[in-house]
Parts: sequence; structure tokens; C-alpha cells
Amino acid sequence: MQTKRLTRDALLAAIALVIFVVELQLPSPVPIPGVKLGLANVITVASMFLMGPGDTLMILLVRILLGSIFAGQMMALIYSLSGGMLCFLAMLLLRRILTMRQIWVCSVIGAIFHNIGQVLAAMAVTSTPQLAVYLPVLLVSGIITGVLTGLTAQFAANRLKLHPFFSHKP
Amino acid sequence: MISTKKWVAIIGVILLLSAGAALYLSFRGASGTVANVYQDGKCIYSVDLSEVEEPFTLSVSCEDGTNTIAIEPGRICIQDADCPDQVCVKSGWLKNSASPIVCLPHKLVIRLENSPDSANTIDAVAK
Repeated sequence: MQTKRLTRDALLAAIALVIFVVELQLPSPVPIPGVKLGLANVITVASMFLMGPGDTLMILLVRILLGSIFAGQMMALIYSLSGGMLCFLAMLLLRRILTMRQIWVCSVIGAIFHNIGQVLAAMAVTSTPQLAVYLPVLLVSGIITGVLTGLTAQFAANRLKLHPFFSHKP
Repeated sequence: MISTKKWVAIIGVILLLSAGAALYLSFRGASGTVANVYQDGKCIYSVDLSEVEEPFTLSVSCEDGTNTIAIEPGRICIQDADCPDQVCVKSGWLKNSASPIVCLPHKLVIRLENSPDSANTIDAVAK
């Protein structure tokens, strides 16, 4: 059972990493720091509802750490990590009150907290509290992309939960 | 359980509030004409854009790379940077806006303010 769990989590981390690296290659459509699609969030949200917080945290940490190394930007680690952890905490609470038909909500609220974490980290790193002016724009983009990635995760999770590969809950 | 309708309403309200705040902030003008360039939270360069007569450039280096800042009468931008995301270059000219230009990978911020930020300087202000 342990081997199965390790294989499954490693596979999901690898998928998340590939999505993350491919997204890095897409040019940013708007010149606002921090605006992105956040496609790798699909894996985080789906695994939160398929497997629970323990496995999700592992997958998320592996993806953030390796993602920053592959991106060649260790500064990005600080922003990703603070955003990712705040997002994870929000999802931790949400998964208890959401049904399998409301998974997209988890993604949206997670995106909101991810943006807040990111901006707080940027404010701390550059010692510039004025960077808070970027938060509203980030929230608008985060909510829109959050709905799309959340629906993707919802459709994926509702089909994958029937598969024996995901039936084991630790 | 909170119904999906309620969630849509909650998220819709947050979206509208953020959009409103974003619009308000994007139309809000800068408080002054002095461009302060910050690296790591320290003001490393100040220039009054209303007193610039000839365009010139300025290179700012840090351990991770270099940004080339272009300064013209009344406006300032980051012309070139060797960071991977290029967000600061794509931000374009900063003329009369309260939103700063930011290069997160190099911890560089350019802001328009009323006066040179002498409280945060590391050494004497150039010019």
C-alpha cells in the first residue's frame, strides 16, 4: 500500500511540475508582477479532494521546490512558497465544508489566499508596503483563473475518484 | 454545507470589490514627480523627472543581474533587464501613476513620490 501511495504521489507531483514548467514558457499577457494562469493548481485542488491534505502537501512542496529550481529563479521560491502555504491552509479548512460539486470554490478561495501570500512576501522582500496596490488586480485575475482551474480539477476529481488508483485513503 | 449559490454570491462580491479597487488605483495619479529607485528597500537613486532635460540611462546591478533604467523628461522606465520574466520591462513608462514598476527577481522598485527619499538612502543621492 505504501509503494502504491508513493508511486501515485510522485506521479502527480511530476504531472504538476510538467504543467508548471510548460506554463513558464507562455509569455505573460499582462505586465503585472504575479499574474499567471496557475494551471498547476489543478493538481493541488484535485488531490486535496481525492487523497487529503497529507499527500497534497507533499505534492505541493515537491512541485514548488523543483519548480523554482527548474525556473532558475530561487527568488521565486519565496513568493511561491508563501502563496502556496497560505493557499494550502485555506484549502485545508474548505475541504471539510465543500461537496464534490463545489470543488471549484476551493480553487478560487485558494487562489485569493495565494495572491495575498504572494503580495505579502513581495512587500517583505522589497520592503515596499506600497506593493499592496497590486493586490486588487491580482485578485481579479486570480478569481477568474481560479474558476477555470477549479472546474478542471472538479471534473478530473469526480472521474478519478472512481478509479482504484485513488480509492486508497491513508 | 453552504449552497453553491451562496458561494457564487460571495466570490462575485469579492470580484466586484477587487475590480473596483483595481480601477480606482489605476486611475489614481502619482503624488509627485520625483522618481525614487529602490533596491532591497533602500533608495539608491533619486531624480526629479520634471527637471530632466536630456534622456539618459542608468544601470543598476545586483548579485542576480542588471536592470537598465531609461530616464526622459517627465517619465522613467526599465529599458532592459536580464531577469527571466521581463515583467518590469513590459510595464513600460512610469509617468503619472501611483503603481510602482517592480522587478521582483532583482528586488528593484521604482516609485513616484513628492521628494527624494533621503530617509532610506545608503549613501549620498546622485544628482
